[in-house]
Amino acid sequence: DDMEEGKEVTQQWEDDWDDDDVSDDFSVQLRRELEKTTDKN
Amino acid sequence: IETATTIFDFEEFPNRDKVTYMYYTGRLEVFNENFPSADYKLSYALKHCNQQHEANIRMILKYLIPVKLSIGILPNHRLLEKYNLLEYGNIVQALKRGDPRLLRSALQYHEDWFLRSGVYLVLEKVELQVYQRLVKKIYIIQKQRDPSRAHQVKLEVIVKALKWLEIDMDVDEVECIMAILIYKNLVKGYFAHKSKVAVLSKQDPFPKLNGKPVNS
Repeated sequence: DDMEEGKEVTQQWEDDWDDDDVSDDFSVQLRRELEKTTDKN
Repeated sequence: IETATTIFDFEEFPNRDKVTYMYYTGRLEVFNENFPSADYKLSYALKHCNQQHEANIRMILKYLIPVKLSIGILPNHRLLEKYNLLEYGNIVQALKRGDPRLLRSALQYHEDWFLRSGVYLVLEKVELQVYQRLVKKIYIIQKQRDPSRAHQVKLEVIVKALKWLEIDMDVDEVECIMAILIYKNLVKGYFAHKSKVAVLSKQDPFPKLNGKPVNS
């Protein structure tokens, strides 16, 4: 049982977070901002 | 302490002594900025410590989390919640977003706690990964708009993104950050200095750390 829980703690890490997803709020706002600037040029 | 292990067989010691040894030598490795070794030792302590002793797990995680961040691995939010280590929450968020402003405010907000724990300098270094992520997002957004020219990133565009984040940097400062990112192999590419454009490699322009520390 201890081993099981130990496993659980060691598995709580993400190494695939650096994905190509740009649909989060931050990215959506960033896109809006960049498009604003390119439209001006 | 290190030489002792060559005289005695490490495996022969009782488990709790091994965990204690790995915890303290792991912390030493953190201060020596030897992150792969710190990761190994603290992960060993985490795996072999008594899983009922949440306070001990928290102590180990307090050091293991910044080590993992420095090699590009993030803790789940559940882990931060369970062991009351939410001080790291916004730093994780800043990495995911590529938001240097959030990183700065998170470092500032918990400055005392990070300094007392001795992990402030480790966390400060995460900034380069945050910039890498921001440039990557700019690149992906450009790519969706115009795939043929996406690998040319105007420094001016990065300046504008930073201005949006209320970080005041001019083109020269951004060029300096890009130069560091390229030097540290967080970005693959080169400069067209005159036209103030960073030309990204078409293959794997943003190499992942995959558990390795940033080049020093």
